Amino acid sequence: MSDEKPYRKLETQALLQQIAFRHGMEAMAASEEGNLAWVSSGFPVEIPVAMNVFPTYPEQSGAIIGATKIGPEVCGFAEDLGYSQELCSYARASIGSTDRPDDVAMGALPKPQAFLGCNNICGTILKWYDANSEQTGAPVFLLDTPPLEAEQKPHHRAYVKQGLERLIEFLGKTFNTTLEEDKFREVADLSSRAIKLWTQSLKACQNKPSPLNCADRFLTMAPVVSSRGMEHCTEFYEVLLAEVEDRVKQSIGAIREEKIRLLWDNIPPWFILRFFNQLAARGVVFPADTYTHAWSGAVEGTDTDSLLDGVVDIYSNVYLNKNLDAKVDKMCQLIKDFDLDGFVMFSVRSCKRYSLGQLVSKEIVTEKTGVPGVVIEGDMVDSRLFNEAQIQTRVDALLEMFV
Amino acid sequence: MTEKPFGIGLDVGSTTTKGVIIDSDGSILATHLQSTGASAASAVAHVLGNLLSTSEKTRDECRIIGTGYGRNIVDMAHKTVTEITCHSVGVNTLNPDIRLLIDVGGQDSKVIRIGSNGRPEDFELNDKCSAGTGRFLEVMARVLEVSMDELGPLGLKSNSPCSISSTCTVFAESEVIGRIGSGDSPADIAAGVHQSMASKIGSLSKRVGVATPIGVTGGVALNPAFRHYLSDILKAELWVPKIPQLTGALGAAIIALQDAEV
Repeated sequence: MSDEKPYRKLETQALLQQIAFRHGMEAMAASEEGNLAWVSSGFPVEIPVAMNVFPTYPEQSGAIIGATKIGPEVCGFAEDLGYSQELCSYARASIGSTDRPDDVAMGALPKPQAFLGCNNICGTILKWYDANSEQTGAPVFLLDTPPLEAEQKPHHRAYVKQGLERLIEFLGKTFNTTLEEDKFREVADLSSRAIKLWTQSLKACQNKPSPLNCADRFLTMAPVVSSRGMEHCTEFYEVLLAEVEDRVKQSIGAIREEKIRLLWDNIPPWFILRFFNQLAARGVVFPADTYTHAWSGAVEGTDTDSLLDGVVDIYSNVYLNKNLDAKVDKMCQLIKDFDLDGFVMFSVRSCKRYSLGQLVSKEIVTEKTGVPGVVIEGDMVDSRLFNEAQIQTRVDALLEMFV
Repeated sequence: MTEKPFGIGLDVGSTTTKGVIIDSDGSILATHLQSTGASAASAVAHVLGNLLSTSEKTRDECRIIGTGYGRNIVDMAHKTVTEITCHSVGVNTLNPDIRLLIDVGGQDSKVIRIGSNGRPEDFELNDKCSAGTGRFLEVMARVLEVSMDELGPLGLKSNSPCSISSTCTVFAESEVIGRIGSGDSPADIAAGVHQSMASKIGSLSKRVGVATPIGVTGGVALNPAFRHYLSDILKAELWVPKIPQLTGALGAAIIALQDAEV
């Protein structure tokens, strides 16, 4: 028997830790200088970055709180304040860690001077940041991107663009700064390059064996979420892509023996990423997931006006801001492009926007692609909602279908 | 000829532990069913001991598959297989025509669409909630002061079932107590309880897609009122094996022999 682990750790992970540490230090410095904003994951961060406002992410903090297995405790701090257990666990973790930062070893963010939320990822973000605002006294800016039914209409574009103009005004007043065109172009270019490099790494997983597994992508997506538009982010994805391409060239898989290829839908359970490694031991790899494929485009333009148009386009069209048909099409496309045998849909108790409609889409995806899928239930941070035995039975039953 | 000519399936459920031993022709040599109780491991040991002594075989002659929610504690098993696959294989052996299997056990209920190869094509499970499982009926039987065997026949005596609207066992229990307080007859209440449960299972079935013929297994399949209301909701006849609780263990025993032949 070999003592080798069934999966291969990425060498780039060491760099990731350095970047995370650096980001944390810079956020602390920015907070002290009165220059820090908490930002939602789907926010057009290129604008604050171009205006020298440093972004940090409560959702990433939630993921860290989940991964360090203190989710129930920190969510409990928010519940002690009267927030319902039904509230999103990212929101509870954020409110809880803001209330008792000294009791959260890792994951409590430094105090911000503003909250920048965009409702293209969920509607909870507004009330969540309102609560954080009450706790800290910092103001909230909401960028409203109404959900897209089909193609984005001109009046929809115009509305979101007005929101961006208001954002520039808000940042200008709050942080005493301006948006310079050259800087905006430079940041947009860095952001686009990072997204393109990241997309290339994702696409490389079409190869067999897949060079990356789910957990690899969930971890290495951190910089593209938090540091789009910053130089070190683009550099990180150059290093990652080089490692990925090297794996492809040498036919080195993310797991040692790839037998079954599955799609993952939704945010992962951060407190039990070993779930993917346990499956790796049985030859199961996840070459694609809807979560890390949430960005599909890059901000492009020649001047401020056209760059803003690019921002409108990209941030209105994120995966979670589209209707169910678009989500089903995306899943079917991933199953086809990545030659997947089946899919696992994680119904996340916290994230209604992501999980709503999964039962219906499961049926349609199977009908359209001919591959089976399974829905498992749980949460991304609050491990009290995760029943491992029940989940194992469902996943085992799915795997038995491939025998 | 395989070295282990006999197959044993051990199905460790939340309420009962079931065992089946078969020979290489698929003939059943012995079966055993008993309450799982507080120690699933000792229930498994007891069922296995009983199967071996009744069939006069030794453990070395048998390939053993563990299934059911407690499958991982069957430490003498050569392999574990989920109850979803085992039930499909078991039903397919007893009645190869069945395309939809509804298994209602003590702790969960499952609906499985079975392909022509006898393997599951799609499935849904009801969990995190005891409504739609045997436990729901156990709670209601206790409130109505009847045994589990009496509950079904009591429900069949009524032509006007009470409406039990809640899908939650705890709330439904309060609702039943309210009905008792209002003077509704035990038969009408029992009928309402079965109708509510059948409606929940009916919804689960529709999620998978109703395909006929339909088979029902698990301990609750023995309940005539449940079968009556479920058949009504699905608008289909229901096929029930002679001992519906043993289907998963039978499937496991068959898989044990299939594996041994590989």
